Formats: sequence, structure tokens, C-alpha cells
Amino acid sequence: MTTLSVETRGGSDRREGIPVMTVRRVRKHFPIKEGAMQRVVGQVRAVDGVSLDIRRGETVGLVGESGCGKTTLGRCISGLLTPTHGGIYFRISDEQESELDRVLAVADDARTAADRRFLAELDSEHRIDTMNSKARHVYRRNCQVVFQDAFSSLNPRQLVKDIVARPLRVYREASGPELTERVVDLLDSVGLGRQHLYRYPHQFSGGQRQRISIARALALDPEFIVLDEPTSALDVSVQAQILNVLHELQREWGLTYLFISHDLGVVRLMADRIAVMYLGQVVEQGTATELFEHPLHPYTEALLAANPDIHADPSHRIQGLEGTVPDPANPPQGCRFHTRCPVATPLCGWEVDDAVAWLSDSRDLPDTLSGVERHSDFEATLAFDDEASAAAVGSRLASDEVPAAMAAALAEVEVDLGQVRIRFTERQPMELQEVEDGHLSACILHTDQS
Amino acid sequence: MTIPVSAPQDTMTTTPPLVATVQDLRVYFKTKAGLVHAVDGVSFDIRDRETLGLVGETGSGKSVTARSFLRLIQSPPGVYAGGRILFWSDEARRTGAEPVDLLTIPRHQLLDVRGNRIAMIFQDPGKALNPALTIREQVAEVFYQHRSEELLEGAYGDASLLIRRAAGQRTRLAERLLLRLPPLRQQATKLRRRVDDHVAAALNETQIANPRKIMDSYPHELSGGMKQRVMIAQALACNPDLLIADEPTTALDVTIQAKILELIRQLQERHQAAVLYISHDLSLVRQISDRVAVMYAGRIAETGRTEDIFHEPLHPYTRGLMAAVPSAGHTRGRLAAIEGTVPELVDPPASCRFHTRCPHAVALCGAIDPELLLVGPAGHQVACLAYNTPDQLGVDPSALPDLSRRTR
Repeated sequence: MTTLSVETRGGSDRREGIPVMTVRRVRKHFPIKEGAMQRVVGQVRAVDGVSLDIRRGETVGLVGESGCGKTTLGRCISGLLTPTHGGIYFRISDEQESELDRVLAVADDARTAADRRFLAELDSEHRIDTMNSKARHVYRRNCQVVFQDAFSSLNPRQLVKDIVARPLRVYREASGPELTERVVDLLDSVGLGRQHLYRYPHQFSGGQRQRISIARALALDPEFIVLDEPTSALDVSVQAQILNVLHELQREWGLTYLFISHDLGVVRLMADRIAVMYLGQVVEQGTATELFEHPLHPYTEALLAANPDIHADPSHRIQGLEGTVPDPANPPQGCRFHTRCPVATPLCGWEVDDAVAWLSDSRDLPDTLSGVERHSDFEATLAFDDEASAAAVGSRLASDEVPAAMAAALAEVEVDLGQVRIRFTERQPMELQEVEDGHLSACILHTDQS
Repeated sequence: MTIPVSAPQDTMTTTPPLVATVQDLRVYFKTKAGLVHAVDGVSFDIRDRETLGLVGETGSGKSVTARSFLRLIQSPPGVYAGGRILFWSDEARRTGAEPVDLLTIPRHQLLDVRGNRIAMIFQDPGKALNPALTIREQVAEVFYQHRSEELLEGAYGDASLLIRRAAGQRTRLAERLLLRLPPLRQQATKLRRRVDDHVAAALNETQIANPRKIMDSYPHELSGGMKQRVMIAQALACNPDLLIADEPTTALDVTIQAKILELIRQLQERHQAAVLYISHDLSLVRQISDRVAVMYAGRIAETGRTEDIFHEPLHPYTRGLMAAVPSAGHTRGRLAAIEGTVPELVDPPASCRFHTRCPHAVALCGAIDPELLLVGPAGHQVACLAYNTPDQLGVDPSALPDLSRRTR
């Protein structure tokens, strides 16, 4: 269809399986500002330490509930947001990748001069937010995005021809009649035609608009496309059309996809590998079949249990999850899922906030609570106006009604006049660990930490 | 198309009594392009304590049908062009009174039904709740509007006129000031406490943790799932006979969705209400409904018991829709998509609405408008010419569509 010189593809062939995007310990924090001076009072940790490999020719699925940071991560990878910490590397070799992992595992001040040189070289050649302009030129044209809302991501004042031709114009790929022919070719490949060239976006249905978005993303023959919920605004019958088109294009053009979605059925169909996100972190990662047939993390299990399947046994009832997603500005300690986890253990990172939330949910927190003084996340003193309520809270925390896992993690409850001092056993944050070959989970039940 | 006022199976003792019946409902919208037939001859029954699932894609007219129950369609541009929606309240059923036609009853009577006998849960709880009022005020309004007599009962032997007006939320500014003065303040406070108890009880029923604390918060302080629970509390406060749920979980995450679904199911049982559940998600409707009606382009394509529809869908559209939902059995790139898009509903011709996208369509489909035919034992009805006999239509057998043969 379109012929591209070796040079425009950045001078590399398209070998299967080599890394396209290497994401290492990426964090994206958004400041919370308050008051007239816009003082920063906290950070929303939208993405908080994610590592991910995306290899050539594969589709990586990113699933999670709203607010888990999957779109933010997608935007970081596509260069629309700059990560606060960590690096996203484009097209590094296998050797460079293992070398990078080795260097990153070494503490900052213990790195040798050679290590630093290596990192500096990667930063200028491959890291997307610091790379030199030549490398950036190659990266930008090889990484495209298709957004969820095809209504707002297409300029309503431009004709389809201009929308799809825009990338080609910017990169001076074509002009005049040749440009039009290239646009027709692109429209053709997504199931539209020459008759659609001189129309405005509002004249199309949702499915057709998403096709236009895809054609625009394909214009520069990219290597990698971030698909951010491309079908969630569409009806099922149209969604099926778009998913088929995306698969067809991937086969023909040898594309690599990062497929972001909250719909497990769609991700299962489209992805080779899946990463499940919860509150800014990846909690489980593995091949699509492994993850759906043998989910490891309780959160993945909960997601699967809540997902209605049209072809499943009708007597099977879907199961929900208790509670709400915690505040990403103040995420729970230990495993971030422990506040809602049905199989939480005493080792999952119980903390002061859990005790206070439990007291207030069971309506046992008296109005006389005058202050909570935190010594750390795991230790605090609750001050009350009168001694009676302090004693009541103290005995309540010592009673059998406290959830067993939390009670076991509660190291100390001390009532002293109008104060209750509580201390939990400290726990480290959960890290993603390889449980089986290529199947990673961040749950204490699957690690040898316990 | 003529429809009998009561279907023959009504007389059978096994079927529960009707709560509402929609007969040949037509709702049109006047636009510059012409008259849009958003709902064009829809008929169905809702029976006591059952859940009817209304499924369809965007623009199929499912929400317009639901909103017509409470006459919530803005007019203009909306026009109720025909048909009726008969409703039997619990009381009417007991006394054997005549049903009311919700499309023609006077406004004051309609206001008595809205939120009282028929309640609605809307799709987006963020938009349906008033951002400027606390949860307490919003839920209390239902009680003030429909339960003012009950609020005055017992505690006030002969409540003063002012208290009566306060219980019906009919006080003016001067009167409200008067209610703050000593002689009446005590009674006014008592009334407010009583309403608070009702609100707390209603919220408690939806399993919200700490309802007294929630009452004082504003909608923006709550999560999506919590807001939807408040909406449900509001809707069920007056123990309605019919609950209309218009995509109540579309804006929520799957884990919360499952909880809300469970809650609706539980509360339906407790309140013994009938539910009209509207959704675009077939798998959800399968979970919650007893019967299903599949809508396409302002018409009902197929209706019947949930197990019949999902076990053996008859209409090509229902089949296509079910095959298009991705699941474990599918191979990538081989998803059975329904080609094309929903047709324009501006002055539609007399033809099967689905014939432009149907894989089995023949010439006849573009010329004859299929009627809902009873095909199965348990009220399984389908509107497709393939299930007609040649005699019914007066055509040659070979002219009928054959669902085992693809024409495109």
C-alpha cells in the first residue's frame, strides 16, 4: 500500500519479539493545589511504580477500574505526559534491556562510572522524555494514539481529508494529488472510501468516526499504537466491527498495540499479554489465557467474578466487591488492595487508617474524637474529649468484632486517660514477583515473603 | 395494527396480574429533517413482581419508552403520537379499579404517580442528583411530596395549618420564619426529626455505611456507587409498584455494578415491586430479568422469557447481537459483527427495520413490515418474516427469507 524507505522507519527492521517500549518504575504524580497561593498540599499518585515490556508484534492489554491509572500510563507511554519518576525507553535491544535492569537494581550512589555512562546514553538515545531531537522525530512518528472519544478527538471544523492527511503534511510525506491518494488508501484500509473524503466528522456515526481516528493513527505507518478504550463508547455490534478492523490491521501492518480497556471480554479477545492495574500499580501480569484461566491476585479474581459473561451458565451469579477504591493521594500501606480484599491476611499492611475507617463504618467512633496524632502510618494516638469514650473505643478495638486479619496485625492498643494509642506491625509495600514463568503477581499469598 | 386491551392469558390463574401494559406506543420527535419515529408501535406487558429487561443499542428507543411512563419526554420536540400506557397501582389491583392511562391523565394525577407509584433510577447518578442540596434534603423531598399525611400522623393530634403546610413543603419564606419562633419551633423540629428518621431508614436499606453521616454530605463528596445507592433509596422510599431502572450501572465499574445489581434484586423482593430494567448490555439483562424485550430502531424485534431468548434467539438481530459480544470462545479477528449502522428513523418506510443490515434479508423484507408473532409456548414473540407462513402474507413460499441461508 504505502511504501516507506528504511530511513523513515528509523533504520531498523521489524523483528518480532524485540522490545518496542520498555517501561521501568514509572510514576506519575499530580500535585493537589490549595488556597490563593496554590500551595501544593499533596500528590495524587495516578501511576505509582509501573514496569512493563511491550514487544514487537504483540498486543498488551491494560485493565482496571476507573481511576486506576491505566489511561495516565497510556498517556505517559505515548509521550503526552511526562512521568514524574522512572523512564520509558523506546526501541532498546534485549541486551540493553537486561543491562538496564541490572543498573536500576543497583542503588543510585553505588553505581559505577560505566553504569552512569550507560544510563546517560540510554537517556539521550532512547528515553522518550529526554531523547535527542533526531531520536524523538523517529519516536513520534512511530507511536500513535487512538482515543476513547472519537467525538472530541476529531476537529469538527476539518474535513476527513484534512484530518487524515495532517500527519502526512507535518512530516512532508506527500502533497497534492499524491496526498489525496494516500488518504484514500488509508480510508480504504479501515473500511471507508473515497466518497467520505469531503465530509465533516459530525456526518459520521460513532463507529465510522473511530475508523477515521484509526486511519489518522496509521498515516505514518507507525510501529506502535496506544488504543485507549477505543470501543467503549460504541455499541456491541459496531464494537465487533472495530475490533475486527484492528486485528486485521495488526496482521497486515505488523503493528504493536497497547490496548487499554475496562472490558475484560474485549481485552481477553484482543490481548496476548495482560497487565491488571489497581490504584496506580500493576497487581498481576501474564498471558491472556493464563490470567483468565488461573488468576493469581485476589483483585483479578474479583474482577473476573464481577464480569457478566453472556455465554456462561445462567445460574451463575456475578459477585461484587465491598467498599470503594481508596484515595490515590493517600494509598493504603502494604498491599493496596487489602482494604477490600476478601482473603486479606494479617501481613497485608494494616494501618491506622484502616482502624479509623472500621470504627467509623461500624458507628463506634464517638463524636468526642478531638484529634488523631500520627507517629507513622502504622502508629497513632487518638485523643478524645472524655475518658469514657476513649475506654469504649479501646475495648471495642480489643473485642472479637474486629476483622480477624486486622486484629492479628494490631500489635498494641493502649488506653491512657483520654487517649488511645494504637500500633500495627509495619509492612513493606508489595512488589510484583514472578510466580510462574511469565506470570507475575503482587500478592503475599504467592510470594515467599511470608 | 390492532391490539386487544387485555391479552388472553390474563384470565389464567397462573400468570401474575398486570402492573402496566404498553399498547402500540408511538413517540415521535419533530426535527428539521422530518418526523423521527423514535418509538414506533411498541407493546409489552409488565406483570407483578417480575423484572422485564429492555435491551437495545443506542437509538433503539428504549430510554424514550421508559421515560414515556412518567411523561418525561420534553414536548416539543417530542410528540406522543399514539398508543397508551395503562397502569394498575397496587390499590387499583386490590379494589379492581380501572387502570389509568399515563399518557392522558391530568398533570396533578401524574405528579401523584411520579416517584410514588412509579419510580425511576437514572443512568448517571452524578447528573440526576442536585449538586447544591445535601443528600438529606434530596431524599426528604420524596417524603414531603408524597407522605406528608403520614408524617403528621399520631404525634400531632391536631397539627396547626402551618405545620401541615411545612409537611407538604408548601411554606413560604414568612411562614418558615414563623416556624422558627418558640410556639411552633418545637413542632417544626419534631417534624424535621421524623423526616430525618425516614431518610435514614431509606438510606439504611441500601446498605450504605453510616447513613446519618451520608445525609449531611453533598453528591460530589460521594463515589459513583454511593450516589447510585442514594438514587435507589430515593426511588424506593415510597414503596413503588413499578421501578424503572434506566441503565443504572452503565457509569459504574464492574465490581460496583455487581453490588448494585444484587441490591436492586434484593430490594425488589422486599418491596415486591415490578422492575423495568433497561440496558444495552445483554449479559447484564440475562442476569437480572425474568423476561426480555429486544428493541431495534423503535420497534420490538423479539420478546419472551429470558431463558428462551438466550437459549434460542429467533430474530436475526438478537442472534447477531449475541454473537457480537466477545467471550472466551471467540478467535481474534473473527468476531461476528453486524455490518452497517442503525438506520435513520426519519419517516421510515413500511419495511423490516433491520433489513438493511440483516444477513438473511430478501426483497420481501424491504416491502412488508413484520408484526410480532407468537412462536413459542411461553409468550415468545418475534417480528421477522421468516416465521410467517406464505398464506399469512399471501406470497409465494420462495419469497420468504430463509434464516439458514445467508443472502449477503
